[in-house]
Amino acid sequence: MVMDGPILMPIDPRLLTLTQWLSPAYPTGAFVWSHGLEQAVAERWVRDGNSLYDWLFDVLCDGSGRGEAIWIARAFEAEGDEALCAIDAEARAFAPSRERLREAERQGAAFARVTREVWELDLPDLLMPVALGRAAKLVDLPLDTTITLYLQSFCCNLVSAAQRLMPLGQTEAQAVLARLSPICGQTAEEARGGALWSNAFLSDIAAMKHETLEPRLFQS
Amino acid sequence: MISRPESQHRWAGESGHLLSAHAQSAAEHSFLRRPAITLLSPDTPIAATPVQPRTRGTVTLSAKRLGPRSVIDGLRQSGSYKALFPRTGDMLQSILINTSGGVTGGDRLALEAGVGVGAALSLTTQAAERAYRSLDGSPGQVCSRITVGDEALLHWLPQELILYEGCALRRTLEIDLTLSSRLLMVEPVIFGRVAMGEVVTSGAFHDDITVRRAGRQLYRDATRLSGDITARLARPAVASGAKAMASLLFVDPRAEALLPRIRDMMPETGGASLLAADVLTLRLLAEDSHALRQHLLPVLDLLSDDTLPVSWRL
Repeated sequence: MVMDGPILMPIDPRLLTLTQWLSPAYPTGAFVWSHGLEQAVAERWVRDGNSLYDWLFDVLCDGSGRGEAIWIARAFEAEGDEALCAIDAEARAFAPSRERLREAERQGAAFARVTREVWELDLPDLLMPVALGRAAKLVDLPLDTTITLYLQSFCCNLVSAAQRLMPLGQTEAQAVLARLSPICGQTAEEARGGALWSNAFLSDIAAMKHETLEPRLFQS
Repeated sequence: MISRPESQHRWAGESGHLLSAHAQSAAEHSFLRRPAITLLSPDTPIAATPVQPRTRGTVTLSAKRLGPRSVIDGLRQSGSYKALFPRTGDMLQSILINTSGGVTGGDRLALEAGVGVGAALSLTTQAAERAYRSLDGSPGQVCSRITVGDEALLHWLPQELILYEGCALRRTLEIDLTLSSRLLMVEPVIFGRVAMGEVVTSGAFHDDITVRRAGRQLYRDATRLSGDITARLARPAVASGAKAMASLLFVDPRAEALLPRIRDMMPETGGASLLAADVLTLRLLAEDSHALRQHLLPVLDLLSDDTLPVSWRL
């Protein structure tokens, strides 16, 4: 059989839903949170493309990026509302600081508000990764893809924040993001059934210290 | 190119590769071999490799209010875990002692404590606890469970835990509070003694802390460090090379009012935050145990109303 031109693979419409949710244009207000990165830049712990990559690598492999991947997986797999609420409560107890908790709370509430309205989902206000995991389950999204794309959008947001906080060219910023992409995939693969822990102590300390940073652009 | 840290945290005994034959023979001749004060329990497995005696110890303790003072309500101790009670003020002070001199592979230490209605209990250790090399890689386990009643106060103030090369330690701390309980909890950890040139290039440390209030989770903290712990701590967002860390939790109506003073006591690598109006959390990194104490002692003095146990001053 002879075919003319390239074969167009149909795109799974669910993937379009996911990329819409994780787009910077989705009104979760992600751009106002730096996850403590603003403090790390102020301390000069992060000062260029390489140190930004190293910092975000640790956050993904040892810290809150890994933690959020697991919350998404647990919420996705939760059976019933009671289990979901228990996961949300546990995620809150794991929050290392007030601003981190607020960051996950505000984004999660904004995400849930828009998503339940547009997709008519039974989605209560939950912390961001818990809300995303539940929503992904409700519209039958693949879990690994959901987590990988979430982590990439998380990194994308923090790389954009770094561009506003320190001299970092557009090309170098995109190079950092490209280097982080495979780490997002690996962290996502290990999230299902993963144990909860965090070793990114200095990242958490940065988030605590940010509460008194003056002047500041970001809310975390 | 930075290699990705191990994602799987296996005990050396499970993977079978973490301890080389060379490392094992070095340990046999090392001063780290534990002293003879140990207990052999019937379930100690018979192994062809060097046999490491297994320590067993349990302390069960409760405190109650008697007039203005807090006193011992019940006490049972077995094996090599003991509690001493130095005479002090109104608060009941207890010093926990692991008479085996440290924790190694296969050891089991357990504490069960209760603080009765209106009572005040301070728990500390006589000296730093040491997590020594586990010869077969199996973990030593230290489990502590404490319930704190209405209007009761718990100070959980162990001295430093020191991790040694080849250590394998699994530690859990669970504290149950009521809505009117108060808590001051600190956990200092030293990842190899800098002054002695010690590093921890192989080891496994699992630490889990759970604090509940009225049955709901209030605070969770979990650390998993394995393999080359010193290299892992050198990572920028992990500890940037710090060798000492303290985690602190303060549950008290004064938490919000004291936060600014606590923040002023923190160095560049320490932070404090309010998780709720009466829940203050703090994390502190320092280059070594000396620097850690320098920053930690004023904080503990303030939050314990100057009741820090004498053993902390020695």
